[in-house]
This record gives sequence, C-alpha cells and structure tokens, in this order.
Amino acid sequence: MKQELKKIQEEFKKQLKEVADFAGLSDLEQKFFSRKNGEFTSIMKGLKELTDDVKKEMGQMANDVKKDLEGLFEDKRLQIQQKEMADIVERESIDVTQPLLPKKAKGHLHPITQAQDKMEEIASNMGFVIEDGPELESDYYVFGALNFPDDHPARESMDTFYISDNTDWCMRAHVSNMQVRLMRKYNEDGTKAVRAAYPGKVFRNEALDATHEHTFHQFEAFVVDRNINIGNLVAVIKELLRGLYGREVDVRLRPGYFPFVEPGFEMDMKCLFCRGEGCRVCKHLGWVEMLGCGLMHPNVLREGGYDPQEWSGLAFGMGLTRLAMMRYSIEDIRHFMSGDLRFLQQF
Amino acid sequence: MLVSRKWLQDYVFLPDSLDSADLANDLTIHTVEVEEVKKQSEGLEGVVVGKILSIEKHPESTKLSIAQVDVGEEKPRQILFGTLAEMHVGRRTAVALAPTVLQGKEINKIKIAGQVSEGMLCLYQELGLRDEDEPLEAPEFDKDVKLGTPVTHALGLDDVIIDIDNKSMTHRPDLWGHYGIARELSAIYRKKLEKYDPPKIQEGKDVKIEVDIKNPEVCGRYMAVVVDGVKIEPSPQWLQDRLVAVGLRPINNIVDITNYVMYDLGKPIHAFDAEGLSGNKEGQINIEVRFADDDEQITTLDDSEHILGKENLLITSCDIPVALAGVMGCLDSSVHDETQRIVFESAHFDPTNIRRTSMRLGLRSDSSARFEKSIDPTSCEDSLRRAVELTLQLCPEAKVVSNVADAKSFKLSQGPIELSLEFLRRKMGVEISEKQAVDILERLGFEVKTKKNSLLVTVPTWRATKDVSIADDLVEEIARMYGYGNIEAILPTYEGAPPSKSPFKIAQKTARRVLAYEKSFTETYNYSFESPEWLKRIGEDISHYIRLDNPVAKDRPLVRRHLYPNLLSNVANNLHRRDTVKLFEIGKVFHREDPGERIHPTSSDLLPRQDLFLGIAYADKKDQTPFLVVADAARAVLDQMGVEDYIIEKFSMPVDFVHNGRCAQILVDGEQIGVITEFHPVALQRLDIDHRVACAELVLSKIALLAGDSVHYQPIPEFPSITRDIAFVVDASAVHAQIVNELEAASDLIESIELFDVYSGEHVDAGHKSMAYKIVYRSKEKTLTSDEIEKEHAKVLGMLEKKFSAKMRA
Repeated sequence: MKQELKKIQEEFKKQLKEVADFAGLSDLEQKFFSRKNGEFTSIMKGLKELTDDVKKEMGQMANDVKKDLEGLFEDKRLQIQQKEMADIVERESIDVTQPLLPKKAKGHLHPITQAQDKMEEIASNMGFVIEDGPELESDYYVFGALNFPDDHPARESMDTFYISDNTDWCMRAHVSNMQVRLMRKYNEDGTKAVRAAYPGKVFRNEALDATHEHTFHQFEAFVVDRNINIGNLVAVIKELLRGLYGREVDVRLRPGYFPFVEPGFEMDMKCLFCRGEGCRVCKHLGWVEMLGCGLMHPNVLREGGYDPQEWSGLAFGMGLTRLAMMRYSIEDIRHFMSGDLRFLQQF
Repeated sequence: MLVSRKWLQDYVFLPDSLDSADLANDLTIHTVEVEEVKKQSEGLEGVVVGKILSIEKHPESTKLSIAQVDVGEEKPRQILFGTLAEMHVGRRTAVALAPTVLQGKEINKIKIAGQVSEGMLCLYQELGLRDEDEPLEAPEFDKDVKLGTPVTHALGLDDVIIDIDNKSMTHRPDLWGHYGIARELSAIYRKKLEKYDPPKIQEGKDVKIEVDIKNPEVCGRYMAVVVDGVKIEPSPQWLQDRLVAVGLRPINNIVDITNYVMYDLGKPIHAFDAEGLSGNKEGQINIEVRFADDDEQITTLDDSEHILGKENLLITSCDIPVALAGVMGCLDSSVHDETQRIVFESAHFDPTNIRRTSMRLGLRSDSSARFEKSIDPTSCEDSLRRAVELTLQLCPEAKVVSNVADAKSFKLSQGPIELSLEFLRRKMGVEISEKQAVDILERLGFEVKTKKNSLLVTVPTWRATKDVSIADDLVEEIARMYGYGNIEAILPTYEGAPPSKSPFKIAQKTARRVLAYEKSFTETYNYSFESPEWLKRIGEDISHYIRLDNPVAKDRPLVRRHLYPNLLSNVANNLHRRDTVKLFEIGKVFHREDPGERIHPTSSDLLPRQDLFLGIAYADKKDQTPFLVVADAARAVLDQMGVEDYIIEKFSMPVDFVHNGRCAQILVDGEQIGVITEFHPVALQRLDIDHRVACAELVLSKIALLAGDSVHYQPIPEFPSITRDIAFVVDASAVHAQIVNELEAASDLIESIELFDVYSGEHVDAGHKSMAYKIVYRSKEKTLTSDEIEKEHAKVLGMLEKKFSAKMRA
C-alpha cells in the first residue's frame, strides 16, 4: 500500500507537470480525487480493510501524501490562473487611441451665450437681479428717460432703426432702455435700493463690415442706493472683471460722455497679456478699453422714481460681442450672426 | 483732431523735460482720449540733405537715371532715380540713405540692371509730408543748408503732433482748438495760461456793414467786418508749417488765417470776397441771415451744387446766398487770387440745425463739425479780432474799412450753480477740502464764491453752452482733475435679499443645456429682421409684419414674427457643406396685434408683444422623417423644465408650406405653446432645399411660467414587477398617444408603457403598421401571481383588439 501511495504520488506529479489549463487540471482532479473512482480515493477506501495499527500508520502517510498533492495542485492552479489572465490581457488588447464609434454628435452654445452666462453668474452672485426686456422699445425708454436731449445725434435715423407708422417706436440702440424699467419694477416707489443687470440684443443703423454690425449684444448693470460714489463704481466693476478673468485686474477711469451718467467715464483695463508693457492685443498702449460707466444722472434717477437728493446710482455697460471677439481673437464680427456651423461649432 | 505741441506752447509753458507720451497720457486721464502721439521727425531719421553732382542715363533702362549725390559723407553716393520729379545737377534735395526705414518702408542698397543704388531721392509724398493728390514734388534746399543735415532739421520738423479722438470730445466744444487744450494742460500741470486777448479792432468809416438776423432762434450772433487792401499770396512759412502740422493744406494767406483761427480758438470763421457780395450800394454791405426757400439752389465753394429746403440756414447779401450758414461758403463770394477787399464773418449758429443741414446735404466741413458742438457765442469777438490782427500782420497794406457789425440775441446760463461740499464728498467718495475744490475749479476758469459749506460756481462762457449746468457736472470737473486714480475703490454695502432668478432666464438656460448638451443641437443667433423676398418664397403672409422705417439692409425691412424663416435659411446654407444640420435659436419675436409692455410708466399705450421663442430646426440628408427628431428635442426641453400635462397632437395649418401630415401642436390646458412641423417637400423645392426639414417653435415666455419640478420621486417598490412585451398590427392611422391613454386606463396594475418598435412593410398588410410595446405590471400591495398577471394582461389585449382592431403577433 505504501508503494501504491508512492506510485500515485509520483504519477500525480508527473501528470500535473503536463497539465496546461483549467480543463486538464479538472481532469486530473477527477482522475485522482473523484469520489467515485479517483485513484487516490480508492486507496483511501482500502484503508478500511487494514488493521488498526497499520491503518493508523497508513492513514497518517495517506494524509501526508494528500496534503502534498493538494499543495502541488493549488500551486499549479494559481500558475494556470496567472497564465490565463495574462493571455486575456494579450488576446483582448485594444487600440486605446481609437475614438468611440460611431461618433456621437456634439451640440454647441453660441459664444455670446457663453460670455453672457459667465457675466450673469458673476453679477448674480454679487446680488444683481438679471432681466431682459423689450427690444422694440419706445423712444421714451431708449432716449427720453435717459436724459438724451430731443436733438441728440443718436436719435437720428442715421443711428437708430425706427418703426414705420409709429415714430415713437424704435429698435433699442442700447440695453439702457432697461434702466428706468427695472428701477420702477423693483424700487417700490423709490423706496428700495436696486441692483440689476440686463444683457441683451441691440440694434444700430450701421453698414456691415468686418468690424461693424447692426445687431450686437451688450451687458449693462446698475446699482442704486443711498450713497453711491465713484470709488464704489470702480470697485463693483473691478469685482466683475475679476470674476470674468479669474484674477485681479488693474483698471483706470478717464473722462467719457454718455447723457445718462454724470460724471461719465471710459474704463480701461491693464492689458492681461502683457501686463501693461504694450503688445499687439492692447495695440501697444498697455491698456484695453473695456466699458463705459458713470454715476447715474439725476434726471434718470428721477425718471426711475427716485429722489436724486436721497438716492444715487452707478451704471456701466460693455459689449458682449466685443468681449467674445477679444477672448477668441475673432477677426470678423459678421460671423456671430451668420448661422454658419463652421463658426458655431468651434465653441 | 491734430494738435501741435509747439502751438500749445503759445499759451502754456510745457518744459522739454515733459515727455510727450506722458503729456498724452495725462490728457487722456484728465480730459480727452489721445489716440496717438507722433514726432514729425518719426520715420524720417535716415533722410538728409544731399546735392546732385552729376546725372547720367542708366545704360539699360530708359526710365532710370544715375545720380552721384554728395550727402556730406567722404565719398558721393550713387543713387538711381526715376521720372516722377524733375532733378538737375546742383539741386539740393532730400536723400534717404540706405539702409534705413522711411515711413515704415525699408530702403536698402540694391542693384538694378547692374547699377548699384545706395539710397533714394525723396518726394514730399514719400516723406509723408504731402498728400498723394498734391503735385509730385521733391524738397529743394538753399545753398546755406549744410549737406548731410537731417531733413527734419532743414524742414523745421521738430514738432510733436498729438492726435485726439474726436468722439471723446463731442461734449466739449471748448476743446476744438489749441487754446482750449492749452487751458486743460494749464489746469493739469498748474501752469499759467496766457490770456487770449487780440487787440480791439480799430473800426473804419468807409463802409457801413449791417446784419439782419431773420431767424434768431438758429443764429444767436453774427459779427462781421470789412478789411480792404489785402493781397492774396501764400502764407509765410511759420503759418504754413502750423497748418501742415495739424493736417491742413495751406491755400492762401486769407483762407489760411480763417483756418488758423479755427484751430487756434476752436471757432470757425469765414472770409468773403466783398466783390462777391453783389448788389450792395457803394459804402454799404447788408447781410441777412435767413432760412432758404424750398428748392433754393446754391453752389458751394467746393463747386458742388445743392438744392436746399426750408430748414437750411443761409447767409445772404441783397437776398443772394453767399454761404450755407456754418457749413461752407458759396463759390461766387469766395476769396480768389485777385481779391482785395474781404468781409470776415464770425457767427453763432444752432448746433442741431447745422448738423442736420450738413447731414442732409452730405457736406461736412471742419466748420460744421465744430458748430455742431454748441460753441461759445462770446468767442465770436475774440476770433474776429484775431483774424483781423493776423490779416494786418500778413498784409501790411490792409486796413479795416468798416464798423464791426454785431447782431446778437444769445443767452448763456452761467449759473451760479450751488455745489455743497457734502454732496461733492458723497459723490466722489473722498474727503476733499474746500480749498482743493476751489483751486481746481478756478484753474479751469470757473469763478467761485464760497458760502457756508458750499460753493457758488459761475460757469465760464466756453463751458456754459450745454456742457456744465448742474452740480453733478462740477463734481466731474473736480474729480477728473483730482485724479480718478486717487479715489479708493470700495465695494458698496448691500442689504437687500439675494435676487430671485427670473423664470425666463432659467427657462433659457434649461433649454440651451438640453438642446446643446443632450440633444446635440448647435445654438445660432439670427437678425431680428427678415427679407420679404425670402418670406414670400416660403409662402409666409407678410402683411402683419412690423416694418422698419430705415432698414440698413434694404433687403431686410421686416421685423420678425417667427424664428423659423431665418433658421430655415441657416439650414439651407449649411446643407451645402454638411449632411446633418441641427440648430436652435432663442430670441424675441414681435407681434403688433398683441399687447406688450407700456411705452411710458404713466401711459396706457402698449408696445407690440415680444414673446421669447425657442426655434429648433433639423435636417439630415438620410432622414426622411426629421419631424421625430425635432419633436423628441421639444419633449426633452418640456420634460426637463418640468412642464406637466402637455399634449402633443396632430395639427393643421392653413398654409401650403407646412406638411400638414406631419404637423403637431403642443398644448397645455388647451393653450397652444408650440408647433412642430415638417415643411412641405414641394415648398422646400421652391426654396431650393432638396432634403426634408423639420422645425419647432415653442413660446418660451409662456413655457417658463409653466415650469415645475422635473423630478418626481417614488419610493423604491416593495414588490416585484412583471414585464410583458406585446406586438400587434393596427391600421396605419392608429395614434400612439391614444393607445397609451387606453392602455393606462385598461389596468390599474400597469406601471409603465414603452413603445419600442414601429414597423410597416414586408409581412404587414398595406395600410397597417406593427407596433411593439413593453408593459410593466406591478402592484403596490403584493407580489402578483402569474394567474393574476395573465388575467390582467388578457384584459389589456382584449381592449386593444376591441378599440384598435389590433391583431396580436406571435
């Protein structure tokens, strides 16, 4: 019996060596350890017929052999498993640079929408209510309420689109038409402070070329409160530009004229590309013209339902179209309204 | 406007140590925007005076000559030149020495047909000193000019030219001449400003000049004086140099004087040839200022004819027009070479009248540009005096032979304006002392009286025409001179509640996100204007469209009522380059017949209604039913907005461009909030579009107000569900929405119904279609047994067979 055990042990080892995969391993297991007629199992069964003394000795020995074989079997199993895994890696290797097919089409948002969204988000976080209003507007809200004298050149048909059969209506030449509308909407008869931003589409009677459009987009905002001063104006705009560009910006005010503010300013921002050294972007000036702004004219506050003795305001406006052109170095303003997918799908 | 630094020095001392770039920057910061500062010598650094020693013909070129030129170097230079200007031996002229850069153009040593050229003989035009349309001529220098002298020295080009952006001073009539700019600089640098005080005119007695202003509302003042014995000749060099420096072309002494005064004081004046004022009696000149008659004709001194209207103002003598007021003189009364006796005019005209005349006639001049800005009427006197002073200086024989006529009725509101120091500090956000404030105002020419805690400020005449009229204007004067950069930026405190988000903004954001990032549509922007030609081709009725009175593009005079026509045009254009076009636009449309916002806070008149529309358009060369893609996109938008209970149902429109077999309306509570349709293929052919196109228009401003929560949470179900797939054949006209409705009604145990296939063709009878649904059954109370399911499912199938004549497929 001893010899049989030895023989089986030798035989098992020999055959185990030849096993190359899980199938062979399974066959081997069946052959030797099958409960019904495994070779090893048969020997174990034979133990019953032996005397107690021999049974003990042989039992001990059979157990040792079994342990040894099981150990070898497990090693082999791990070896095969590793090889199988390595094989899968090899066999199923793919081109990781290949894109997903079929290609999934992507949609795009208009670059002005993206610029506007960003501005709206920053302004909203600063406490501004965001609104829009009529694009076809009365002369009153576009000009009269904003301290434009009757004979101001901007009111001429050279600059503004008027509506046939109703000379009091025009396509708004700026989003400033919203100033008086929003003051009246939110100031509870001139008793409450208001912060509002109102980006939108505007229209000027201008011949088209690479730098001129008759339809473009502006972002404007105002703050009315009890004590608004020039320092506040600078701080609010700086904060907005900081949000827009994601870093501190240097700005400067210089005199500028708009009928609805007094004093009025142009604001320049120190060029972000060259930090004021002068480069192509800022036309070697070190500064980039950003926006027009000012303290709200008392006549406008009055039209908005405020007492200008008690209330004061700041307002500022910038071109969203221009902002997008600067941001992406877009060479021709006409692209924005072209509906051309070759342009639109770049954003 | 070009400003000469040397000219400014007449009135304010600017030390050499003051860099011109700094001067420009200071002007920009405190007063007006300087666009450019340029030394006259810029671009001419390598050009010297040279003498032509010899000229030979180029052996191989008929057009070129070879000159040996002494340019003050050891050896003469050989220079080739062409035939543009006359050259002769001994002539001293301008020579660009290679290598150099002349006005941005590189001049290098070159060889042409075997002959070396070491520079270039320069025309005035090549030096950038004269316009291309002036006669081609090269400079010629006197014998006493040393050879090799830089031409900038030889020509006296040592000035610095400051180019001011005209748009930045439209509100500052006082800045349109050197004296006004000098006044600002004197205030910025705290330097003394020389007085502008030409000598009083010594009146003569030979001629009596009388002025009659018929329309004082547009002519507030008219001064005139007669000077006799002038001799028309070129101006002296100093005067020519100044005019050239500011970009003007010298003409003759009298015309040059009028231009000089205009650029000096910013006040346009005019000189007539007295002989041109015909019809006057000896010793008498009558001038009348009146509106033109309708269709009255004049010829201005640029030799162009104009037909006038009643609103154009004329200067006449004996009723014959002699000038278009403030814009340009007439040809017959203009100064010419033989003129001996002149009439100087210095007047004040209404800015709007001048602007409109100049615009209507398309006739703009330096004069009209200034009159448009509301010039100080008191400057009539100083400008007239200055003109006479210069005339007597340039023509020693000349003398004033008339009285100085002065008809006037203007009024100025010089204040005083009360400025409280508290107000000033509140607006500036800076503690500013009374002394500082008074100092700044006085430097700018304001007269200030101090009162307790406030200033009484009298506005100088040159700022009183429109520019400064309220305390806020004075705040600006003080703040800009104090320096905006010296004001600390402090965020205003805000005590209001955080703003509520506008539902319209939220709706736009949601629609954009869904369409662009989930449904892969690209956003486009279109004009709010439409072309009637395109609309007619589509078949759209244009009679309800609002029209522009003055469209910039003559082909787009209509204000849009829909988004689809422009989108359709976008689709057509893009289909030339792409197989698939998926676009959307969010924008306003304009309906005159519906009520919109008020035109004024207290008026009951209303603007046209301006709804915010969402337009979706789609075409794919391979897709014969684009309707479904657009409808899917529209549904996604409505679902994502949380619009409840919207219905999409078949719809028919009474126009031929709509494919009424493939047209639907979207309803909420019976109200239409949108339309989805394909265009009729025959109509698309009219538009040269060979592929199916579908569009949807949703009224976003209505939908925004119906928006709710797009998520409706249900507890995780306790009991299992059973899924049954069914497929059946029905008549082709069967409607999915109805089938779903009936299915839902047929069993309480149905949790969800999903259509997963629609098929017609082989194996399905003509006029029929096969539909396949996935139905999920579930009870909230218990686990359903298969018996219960089978019973329920049989009921559902029975309903389909009965109501829709459905034939179940195996």
